[in-house]
Amino acid sequence: MKIKTIQETLKNKSLKKEFAVVTNLSNGDSEIFVPGINLKGVFSEYINKIEEIFNSNRNGIIENSEIFVQTFKNPIKVIIVGAVHISTFLIEFAKNLNFEIIIVDPRSFFATKERFPHTKIINKWPNEAFDEIETNTRTALVTLTHDPKIDDPALKYALKNKFFYIGALGSKKTHEKRCLRLIEAGFTKKEIESINGPIGIKLGGKSPSEIALSIISQLVSEKYKNKI
Amino acid sequence: MNNFAEKQIFEKADNWAKNNKKIVLATVIQTWGSSPLGIGSRMIINEDGNFLGSVSGGCVESKVIEECISLIRNRKNCKKIEFKVSNENAWDVGLACGGDILIYIEEITK
Repeated sequence: MKIKTIQETLKNKSLKKEFAVVTNLSNGDSEIFVPGINLKGVFSEYINKIEEIFNSNRNGIIENSEIFVQTFKNPIKVIIVGAVHISTFLIEFAKNLNFEIIIVDPRSFFATKERFPHTKIINKWPNEAFDEIETNTRTALVTLTHDPKIDDPALKYALKNKFFYIGALGSKKTHEKRCLRLIEAGFTKKEIESINGPIGIKLGGKSPSEIALSIISQLVSEKYKNKI
Repeated sequence: MNNFAEKQIFEKADNWAKNNKKIVLATVIQTWGSSPLGIGSRMIINEDGNFLGSVSGGCVESKVIEECISLIRNRKNCKKIEFKVSNENAWDVGLACGGDILIYIEEITK
């Protein structure tokens, strides 16, 4: 591999581009594949196969060839509603897990740069905040305020836009009330059941860091279940 | 798939290259059975024997580093190394977990 390929990979990552690095194993030649653009030399003969591996989010050798493909997709976006204590630990855990975190909280005394120095914070109500965030089916929502005024609009947005993961903090009772409100708002039972509430996998812990661990574990598990 | 580690490894490679170090990149390119790490897992090694990343759960790293250093010494640019299930009665390098992995090592060129 040429150092140029490595530098180009780092540049593409910082520009949040999605691409693949293709290597000819017989001589170490490498190129960067970007969807829609053809490649040079021997790589051009395998363009369809390269695209197929890239689209299925895999790495691997193309069958009966010496071409290895390594896919680079953007991290999964996780929108956290509520700049609460749990959020600080979620950010800490997410650092090593390839998640991009965005915090939404209209309460500016919670969502400060001081409390979340390296995180994107949007000090707006969820409905306004979502205008600024590009979302798709590789986006996750975690609501942590357990205040219906703030959480509900975010949950409705995530349900309508088919986020792959939606989790809402709150006890069983809080969640039952939440489900009733969503039924009244016109969501189906199936849609509502897709919300992970109470949020997180069962670890038994109650401290903010333990709750954050149970949430991040559920996110990782859902990511693989959904092959994202 | 987790690209986070790759980014760190490539940053390190870029950094070593700027310091004119000879560098070898090791990549898991194929696995059979229960291999410890997935395809695309990487490790980077320089001529001084410093390394970052991993290609197994610690089972074959020492052998891979050795192979990478001899790649630099022999002025070759790439090689494939296969590791199979280890023989419990021998002190050889292998995978205790019962899988096979194919690792590709290649020199980073200018």
